[in-house]
Formats: sequence, structure tokens, C-alpha cells
Amino acid sequence: MDKIETTDVLVIGGGLAGERCAMEAAALGQRVTILSLVPPRRSHSCAAQGGMQAALGNCVKAAGDSTDLHFLDTVRGSDWGADQEVARIFADNAPVAVRELAHFGVPWTRVRPGRNVYHIKGQQVAIDEPAEKAGLIMHRDFGGTAKWRACYAAAGTGHAALYAIDGEVLRLGIEVRDRAEALALIHADGRCHGAVTRCLRTGQVGVILAKATVIATGGFGRIYGRYTTNATINEGTGAAIALATGVVPLGNMEAVQFHPTGLWPSGILVTEGCRGDGGYLLNREMERFMVELEPAKQELASRDVVSRHMMGQIRDGKGVDHPGGPHLWLDLRHLGEEHLTTKLREVYEICRDFLGIKPWEELIPVRPTQHYSMGGVRVNKDGEAYGMRGLYAAGEAACWDMHGFNRLGGNSLAETLVAGRIVGARVAEFAADHQIEADTGLALAFLQETELTIDAWLARTGQGPNVYDIRDAMGEIMMGKVGIFRQGDELQAAVNELRALHDSLDQAVLRCREPGANPELSFALRLKGMLRLALVAAMGALAREESRGAHSRIDFPARDDRNCLSRTLVRWGHSEDEPMFSYEPVGLLDLPPGDRGYGKASHVDMELSIEQYNDSVLTRQQEQGRLATQEPMGASLREGAWHDAEARAGLTGT
Amino acid sequence: MATESDSSRELTFEIFRFNPLDPGSEPRMQTYTLREEPYMTLFRALNRIREEQDPGLQFDFACRSAVCGSCGMMINGRPTLACKTLTSDLASTIRLHPLPAFKLIGDLSVDTGTWFREMGSRVEAWVHERQAFDPEAIEEPMDDDLAVAIYESDRCIECGCCVASCGVANTRGDFLAPAGMNRVARFMMDPRDGRSTGDWFEVVASDEGVFGCIGLMACQDVCPKELPLLEVYGYLRRRALGAAFVRKQR
Amino acid sequence: MARSPYISSAAEAVDRQSVRGRADATWPAESRRQVIYELISGLSGLALALFMWGHMFFVASILLGTRGFDWLAEALEVTYIAQPTVVIIFALFVIHAALAARKIPAQLRERRRFAHLAKELRDSERQWRNIGPDGVLKPHVESWLWIWQVRTGMIMLVLGSFHLVLIGLDIFTTLFGDRAGIEAATSMARTAGGLVWVYGVLLLCVEFHAGIGLYRLAIKWGAGARLSRTALWRVEKFLFWFFLGLGLVVLLVLAEIIPPPLGFILGS
Ligand SMILES: Cc1cc2nc3c(=O)[nH]c(=O)nc-3n(C[C@H](O)[C@H](O)[C@H](O)COP(=O)(O)OP(=O)(O)OC[C@H]3O[C@@H](n4cnc5c(N)ncnc54)[C@H](O)[C@@H]3O)c2cc1C
Ligand code: HEM
Ligand code: HEM
Ligand code: SF4
Ligand code: F3S
Ligand code: FES
Repeated sequence: MDKIETTDVLVIGGGLAGERCAMEAAALGQRVTILSLVPPRRSHSCAAQGGMQAALGNCVKAAGDSTDLHFLDTVRGSDWGADQEVARIFADNAPVAVRELAHFGVPWTRVRPGRNVYHIKGQQVAIDEPAEKAGLIMHRDFGGTAKWRACYAAAGTGHAALYAIDGEVLRLGIEVRDRAEALALIHADGRCHGAVTRCLRTGQVGVILAKATVIATGGFGRIYGRYTTNATINEGTGAAIALATGVVPLGNMEAVQFHPTGLWPSGILVTEGCRGDGGYLLNREMERFMVELEPAKQELASRDVVSRHMMGQIRDGKGVDHPGGPHLWLDLRHLGEEHLTTKLREVYEICRDFLGIKPWEELIPVRPTQHYSMGGVRVNKDGEAYGMRGLYAAGEAACWDMHGFNRLGGNSLAETLVAGRIVGARVAEFAADHQIEADTGLALAFLQETELTIDAWLARTGQGPNVYDIRDAMGEIMMGKVGIFRQGDELQAAVNELRALHDSLDQAVLRCREPGANPELSFALRLKGMLRLALVAAMGALAREESRGAHSRIDFPARDDRNCLSRTLVRWGHSEDEPMFSYEPVGLLDLPPGDRGYGKASHVDMELSIEQYNDSVLTRQQEQGRLATQEPMGASLREGAWHDAEARAGLTGT
Repeated sequence: MATESDSSRELTFEIFRFNPLDPGSEPRMQTYTLREEPYMTLFRALNRIREEQDPGLQFDFACRSAVCGSCGMMINGRPTLACKTLTSDLASTIRLHPLPAFKLIGDLSVDTGTWFREMGSRVEAWVHERQAFDPEAIEEPMDDDLAVAIYESDRCIECGCCVASCGVANTRGDFLAPAGMNRVARFMMDPRDGRSTGDWFEVVASDEGVFGCIGLMACQDVCPKELPLLEVYGYLRRRALGAAFVRKQR
Repeated sequence: MARSPYISSAAEAVDRQSVRGRADATWPAESRRQVIYELISGLSGLALALFMWGHMFFVASILLGTRGFDWLAEALEVTYIAQPTVVIIFALFVIHAALAARKIPAQLRERRRFAHLAKELRDSERQWRNIGPDGVLKPHVESWLWIWQVRTGMIMLVLGSFHLVLIGLDIFTTLFGDRAGIEAATSMARTAGGLVWVYGVLLLCVEFHAGIGLYRLAIKWGAGARLSRTALWRVEKFLFWFFLGLGLVVLLVLAEIIPPPLGFILGS
């Protein structure tokens, strides 16, 4: 039966995380098949422009940087929601990952010796770079770190990295199937055996059985409808099929990062730099509302504060009308043509290409938008999913958990590569020790279930809601009520409305029945999963009665380390109507919870001592399904190593 | 600022329709109308047409921000990225065809992915190292000017617009085409790649390579990323010529 | 730097697989042949173009009147420059045509597709409102011009061969005129006697074809990097109009429609 194929390792997702993982497994001798919705080079990893964090400490503004400092920044940034051992593994490996990319051909921007003029917070600053660092990988300031740490390749870091990694995938002869979608995981008794797939060229379904399966499907920003900087393919199907197993939990689905200035109506990211350089925000009455609402910092207030006030303006009817929904204005006119075409060239180009305007003459329509999903398939430090042997996850799709409740800019690209290398190696070991264990009957049963779903969609006729309307309604609910600032009553309303939408899906009717992939059917098949992700994110947010990182509850403004220093886990049993929530400790604590150094400072202290907390981590995580790792818990943590790091680097602080 | 929608234009879309998987489908042009919105790009317009008027319409978008290369199509006779094409830049009748030179998947969707993957294998688009990677060592220094030059070529997003615009690529299936030649040049100028110039010649110095190019320059004119393609060809030709003579003495 | 035990070593394995036995790759004979073909077709085009400029100045001697023309023709013949030139040019003409024609799509279907695309690109300008430096898009006519390069080449192949045979007979035989050689009288007689139309077409073709050809040659070998395309285009336009203008005046004189404008110099 040619509908059933086999491979050693099945990697779902051809972004940086998936491909790096596939490479590692292939290099270790496994036969690897990569599935991707689009040709791998079109994965959303290509959109990352800013940079990739790694503590190389090459330029003057990075001098004294260390992996310890990177670890500190990452844990603080996460608002202590991260697994600190994972953050440690990450920080230690990030330099290797960056240098390895140089080896694979990424044209990193390099240190230019001698006088350099940098543009720092609107000021020109001249700095002499020493000759002995000439030609090493350069850093830029990105994402609020102690040192300049983001390595970058001009304005296309993600692009260059993805192309280099994909080149290696070509070299290793790894099989890549693009326009192929995984629709369901094949599993039995806590063991994953591969996936049911659908070809987006022909619409044909089939099965790929594998010894090990990896989910690397990226973020799920599209549950916020159009209000996201993510690509149209970031629909979270990876997390959704993991949730659909009923066994594997998703972690921290309420931890969602937003960005204040997404271009409207497209949602494309407009860099923070334009506010840093003196841009204003205006409402429909052309008022600079930030001056009134935040007199001290005005537009330079933190991302979340700015976003909150923007949403407030829109809610108060002070948004500017647009057929796609209301927006606000970003005013850069006073910065002048010269500045905009040189220092803010990317912004100028975006305005030219996507709005057809000159930003020194006209206003820019913007809105806050979703940007990054910290949550995802909950895995242990080897990348193996909770409760499911042979299933792994890496990259934005995973909750490996180095980001906790807030990701630092530039940490996610680095994560994809570090996790890809490590998880890839573990996957290869697993595959080497195991056989394909599923029988044809099991595979066919899962295939049949998918076919039945498809047939049901195609068979349903009559008057019913349209899938795109359901999606739009979901986006409105998510952005309006599960957005940047959250409140119990609104979250409750969101949960109710999402549940109604979820139920209405059974009446939804397709209008297209053409043979082939059928774009409407393809979307419909993802919609249920998307609605479920939206629902568990909203429910998780409702249940988490504190504010931590990007999760800001107006009704619970403090971070509550006494009750909530935990990770939300959610499972959705196969025939259940309701998801099931549980909580586990965030992981071993090395850096004790404290002030982030920015944002709101208030928090409720832990009741337990660090030791008491740490003692219970392993058992409580195992209770939640954590599988044994290759090395014991804590083996990679270098306790207290961060202690002197700041002093050594000449930074004041804890 | 044209925010008043009542003064907006009525756009007419003439879109190529053909579903090769549907035995009943014939290649044809189908017409749709849509009222123009402020800042409307073809990303928004095509999605609205699909969602409101014709759910079967096939086209590809992913990043919708001109970085992924998914959405190349012929727009009023010109191959370019639909996601960064504003309707306000177009006459009120908008004609859309799939990119020529690629295999048609359906309607406006073509298989650029397979084409580029084959090209990548053909030119072996990866760094052919001479040394093993040492995770302990710091990176090899590289002059930033060289890094910038490599990046300039590396920027290609594989959208296929150049291929679609090139008369040669449209008539010769084996032609490496602009993007392929650019890819070769990118690795040729990278000192980390251990290939000697001679290794390249099968691929480059032939009618399938740079000598197949007849200098039409459509590629350069349509490349949405404005890659310096003509410089690339000059570079490849000169390298080919140089190598033809240097090689003899070895 | 402190290392985590998680740093994997698979990268090593990756690299081992990558070192390929490429060092002794041999220079493929086929590719070398292609380099040579390309060189010959380019150089023959260049040589022909340069010759045509020389040729233009040669026939322009008619502007000085028949005496000037005859004097120059005789000078080139007694020094045995003219005779071999005819043979060489004829050879170059054929070689160039043969090599250049390889680039013309073989099948009618392909030529149609090519022409369709070139036309679409040429006309797209009208359906785009925003072509220009800031709208990023540039109008594109060069593909269309290539088609005309082929067409003019074809025309030249016929008319040019005819002309070369005529001139060959003139130089090597006594069929025309009083002696074996080019004479103003015979030239003018046959031009006025009807060849004026042939020469007119030929002239237009030559100038168009050579102008675009040189421009393309410069672009192909990378002159476009140093001189911008717009600058090259301006140079090519100037050359085209200059030689076309000069050629037309010469043609009018040859056809005895106007008297030699510079005839007074030699006093004829
Ligand atoms: C605009 C923007 C800018 C950013 N800038 C930065 C930055 O400067 N620095 C930084 O560190 N991070 C940045 N990020 C975040 C970073 O880009 C992503 O987190 C990271 O690239 C995710 O990589 P990934 O490999 O996990 O997933 P992706 O690159 O999103 O890849 C997902 C892959 O999964 C495939 N896939 C999905 N579902 C399925 C399915 N069901 N079946 C088969 N295949 C499937 C897709 O086709 C795709 O190949 C940015 C993000 C955005 C949106
Ligand atoms: C006999 C008839 C001729 C034919 C059929 C012919 C055909 C062609 C063709 C098809 C090309 C394009 C080749 C390519 O782009 O690689 C070309 C190029 C060229 N031709 Fe001709 N041609 C002819 C005569 C001439 C003459 C008489 C001249 C000189 C005046 C000339 C000068 C050139 C030049 C300079 C080029 C550019 C060469 C290049 O790009 O490599 N050709 N010719
Ligand atoms: C060595 C070779 C050549 C010689 C000696 C030569 C000689 C002449 C002479 C004597 C004339 C005057 C008219 C006549 O006597 O009929 C003439 C005119 C002309 N020749 Fe040639 N010719 C040569 C090659 C070519 C070639 C290859 C072309 C183009 C393909 C060409 C194109 C023309 C044209 C267009 C005219 C008309 C003059 C004008 O109007 O400017 N000739 N040539
Ligand atoms: S060279 Fe330009 S047009 Fe061609 S594929 Fe690359 S980006 Fe697209
Ligand atoms: S369009 Fe084609 S012919 Fe050459 S200059 Fe560009 S590759
Ligand atoms: S959708 Fe990515 S380039 Fe247009």
C-alpha cells in the first residue's frame, strides 16, 4: 500500500528548528523526512531580521559579555517563568550555534576595526573597535540585554541562517516534502509512530510511519486572526495535533508576546526604532494620547504599556476607520526624509512598498499585534514531549522552556538552532535504539479517521457559517479579550464566545468542492485545532491570577511567586469536551526570583525556600508526564555561576 | 490620504483559472470586481476575492511582507511579488497570471519550490568545507566588505520572478537562469567554499549556464529584491574566461 | 568558555561526509568549447560593428565627391587592404551569424512564447501607474529589442550577403565599371538605379543591430557594473543616431538625390 510510507525520523516543519534537527539526525546516520507546508526556505524563520543572541563579546559595546550574563538576561526576561537549566544549556550553546552558522556560510556582519559611528537611541556615537577583533562577528543592541549581543547578517539574519541550514539539508540528501501537511499524529499507549499527512498539491492523504517524530511547526500567531506579525502559515497545527493526542500537554499557552506597532492592515512588524528615534502616536483626532496618559515616558514607555494605551484608544472609538478594522497613526513626519531614508531605511521601504506613502509626508497606520508564542508542546530538556515516547518538539512550536513568560528579542532564532542541534542528537539516539513499532492496522485507523473528517466536511451542505467568518470572529475575540492586558470578566467572556465558535464549527459549510488541495478545505481542516489553541490560551489566561512577563492581568497586577511560580499545562482528552489544566514547577531555580530590572516591579515572594522548591521539581514534573532525560535533571546547571558575572562584566546590580 | 471608501475605485480583476487536477477545468480568464481600500495590496485583495467570491481560487502567500518569495505572479504583464504590490499602483483593470517557466499547480499557484530545490542540488548550493567545524574555536575572521558582498547575493528570496521574466529560461528548460547563476556566484565568491574555479565549469561555462544568457536584462528589471544580477553575470563570465586559460597550465 | 555536556559532536560527522573528491575534477572539454564559441560570437560581433564604423567613414568619402571616393577606394585596393578585408568580413559575417543563431529558440512554439513574454513586459508599463525610481519598477524593453536584433540579423543575412557578393564581384572582376575595383560611378549608378531601398533597409538594420549588440556586449561582460545601464544606454543611443544620420546623408548622395555636400573641398 503506497499510502503508507516509512522513514526513521519524521520532522514536521522545515523552519530553522526543524531543519537543524533533521540535519543532526541525518548526520548521525538516520534516514530523515521533512514535511513542510511551504518550501522550507519560505518558512517564517526567514522573516527574522533583527538578530540572534549569542554572547561572543566581540565589539566594544559587547566587551565583558559572557554566557552567564546571557543566562541572567534570559531568566530575568522570562520573569522567572523559564526552566533555568534549559536557559543555561541555551546560553552556553548559543555561541557554538552562531559560529557553526558561520561555518555553514552565513555572511554575518563583521567587526570593522577603527572608528565606527553607531546610532544609539537617536544619538550618533563614535567608537573605536580594536584591530585584534577585526573581522569577528559583530553585535548589535537588540531586545534589552545587558550587552550588545545580537549577531546579525545585515537586515536578513533569519533569511541567511535558513538558507545556510537548508543548503546543509540539501547536502545531506535529506528528503524534503514541501506543500505537505501533518494532520494528525499516529500514537498508541504513549508512543508516537508518525503522522497522517496531506499533500497540498493534490489533496491526497497518506501515512508516514517513523521511529521518532519531531514537531517544529513554529508559532501560532494566526489564532489572533489578522492581528499578528506572523506569516499566514503560522496556524499552530503542530501544537494542535499534539493537543489532539489527548496525552501530550501544551505548556504556558497564555504566554503570548505582542508588539505595539504592527502595520495596518497587513500586520507587518514596524521596528521599535521609530519610536526610539522620536516617532509619535496619534489617534483619529490627531491627539498625542501618550503624552497625556504617560506624561513621563510618553511614546518611550515599555512595549506593553504603549500597546495597552493604543488598545484603549481603539476601544474608546478613537481609532481611524479602515475597512479592515480601526487603527491609529504613527507620525514620523518630523524626522525628515534624510533620517528616514538612511537610519530608518527599513521603515521607509515598508511604507513605500506596503502603503505607497512617504513617511516624511504622510502618517503610518499601526495597531498592536501578536508577535511571538512562548507556549507550545511541553517537552523535557531533551526535547521529548511529556507523556509520549518518540515524540519530540523544537523551536517556537515547543515549550522547551527557556522563554518562560517573555521572550527576549533575538533569543528565538538562537533557540531554534541550539534546540535543533540538541534535540536532533537525542532523536537520532532514540531512533537508533528503536524500530518502527506500529502495525498497518493502527496506521490505517488513523488515516481513516482523517479521511472521515474530510468526507464530513465535503458532505455537509446547506446554510451554515463560513470558515473564514469563524476565523475572523476568533481573531477579534483573541485580540480584544485575550490580548495585551487581560481581565477576568473579559477572559470569561472570551472563553464563552470561543466555545460557542468551537461548537458552531460542526455546522460550518464549505462552498468549494473542487478536486485537488482545495484551499478552503485545507483551511477548514486546521480551524478546529486553531480554535482549541485559542480556547486553551484564553482559559489558561483566566486561570492564571497574576501578572508575569507578557501575561498582564489588570485585576492581578503583581507577580505571584507564592502561588503561581509554575507552568500551565493543558491536555485535551480524545473524546472530552473540556480541556484539563494542571500545573508544574517551572524547573530548578538557580537565580532566585527577583526584580526584572524593568517593567512593573511588584511581586509576592515565595513561601518555600529555593531548596524546598527545587526538591520537589523532579517528582512533580514526572507526575505531569516528564520523561527521563539522557542526563539527570540539573546536570547542566552551573549553580551560582552567575553570581560574579555582573561584577566581572562591570555592571552594577544584584 | 485616501481614507474615504466611497471615492475609491472599482477594481476589475481578470484572473487566470485552471485546475489541472479537475478534468472539467479549461484554462480561462475569470473576472471579479472589488472596491479598492486604502493601502490595499494584492495580498488583501486576493484573499478577499477567495473568501467572499470564489473559495476555490488558488494562490500562495506566506510572509505577506516580501521576504519569503511565495507570491510571485504576473501582474499586468510583469512578474513581481503580489504581497508588496499595491492596487493603487495599478490601472483599475488588474490582470493576473501565474509565473511562466514553472510547473502550474493551479490558478496563480506555481511550483517554484521544486524548481529551486533542483537548482540548489545542481549547483550544490552549500559551502564545500575543507575543514571540520570545531565547536571550541572562535570564528574565522572575515572582512566585513566581503561579508556584505556575499550577503548582497545571498539576499535572493527565490521568488522566481527573474526566471519567469527571462526569455531564455522560458524557452530552455535546462537553463540555470538568473537566480541559479546568482546562487553560483554567491558560493564562488565565498572564501569558505573549497571548490576551485575549475569545479564550477560544468555548471557555469556552458549554454546552460552563463553563456546561455543573452543579456536580456529582464531579470534585473523585475527582481523585487533588486539584486545586482548584471554584475553577477559579468563576474561569472570573467571568471570563466580567466579559468579557461589558467587551467591549461596545471 | 565553559561547555555544557549538551554540546553535540555530530557536526564532526557532518563535515566528514562533506569533503568530496573534487580536487582532481578535470576541465571538461565541452565547457571549454562553450567559452570559445561565446568568445568568437562576441568578438565577431564586436569586429563587425567596428568594421561597420570604418565602412561608414569609407563610404562617407563620397561626401567629398566622386574624386574623394575613388581616391580612397584605389588607395585601399593598391595597398591590398580592400581585397582581403572583403574575404575576412564575409567570413566573419557567416561565422557570427552561425554562432549567434544558436541562441535563437529552435521551435516556433518557443519563439512565440519568447515574443509573447517580451511583448507583455514591454506593454506592462501602461498598466502600471507607478513605474519610476520610487515605485521601484522599471519599464522593460530590452527583451523586445532582442527580438528585433534577431530580425535585423536575418534581414542582414540576406541583404548583406547580396551586397558583399556585389562588392566582391566589383573588386575581383571587371564585371562592373572599367576596372577590377570600386568606383564611385558604378556605385552611384547602381544605388540610384534601385539599390537605394536595399541600402536604406540595410543601413537601418546595421545601426540598430550593432548599437544594441555593443550595448549588450558591454552589459554581458560586466561593464554595467562600472558604467550604469542608463549611461550605457545613452552612449548607444548617441551612436545609433549619429551613424544613422551620417549613413542617410551618404545614401542620398550615392543615390544622386543630393550633391556631395563637401564636394567643394576637392573642387569637383
Ligand atoms: C516578523 C518577525 C520577526 C522576528 N524577528 C526575530 C529576530 O530578529 N530574532 C529572533 O531571534 N527571532 C525573531 N522572530 C521569531 C523567530 O523568527 C521565530 O520564532 C523562529 O524563526 C521560529 O522558527 P521555527 O523553526 O520554530 O518555526 P518556523 O520557521 O515558523 O517554521 C515552521 C515550519 O513548520 C511547517 N509547518 C507548520 N505546520 C505544519 C504542518 N502541520 N505540517 C507540516 N509542516 C508544518 C512550516 O511549513 C514551516 O516550515 C521574529 C518573528 C517574526 C514573526
Ligand atoms: C549576418 C547576419 C547577422 C545575424 C543573423 C546576426 C545575429 C545576431 C544575434 C542573434 C545576436 C545575439 C547573440 C547573443 O545575444 O548572444 C547578435 C549579436 C551581435 N551582433 Fe549580430 N548578426 C548578424 C550580423 C551582424 C553584423 C553585420 C554586425 C555588425 C555590425 C553584428 C554585430 C553584433 C554584435 C556586436 C552583437 C553582440 C554580440 C554579443 O552579445 O555577444 N551582427 N547578432
Ligand atoms: C569589406 C566589405 C565591404 C565593402 C568593401 C563594402 C563596400 C561598400 C561600397 C563600395 C558601398 C557603396 C555602394 C555600392 O558600391 O554598392 C557600400 C555601401 C553600403 N554598405 Fe558596404 N561594403 C562592405 C561590407 C558591408 C557589410 C558587411 C554591410 C552590412 C551588413 C554593408 C552595408 C552597406 C550599406 C548599408 C551601404 C549603404 C551606405 C550608406 O547608405 O551609408 N557593407 N559598401
Ligand atoms: S534573483 Fe531576484 S527575482 Fe530572482 S529569485 Fe532571487 S529575488 Fe527573485
Ligand atoms: S533575463 Fe535572461 S538572458 Fe540573461 S540578463 Fe537576465 S538571464
Ligand atoms: S508572501 Fe512572502 S514574499 Fe509575498
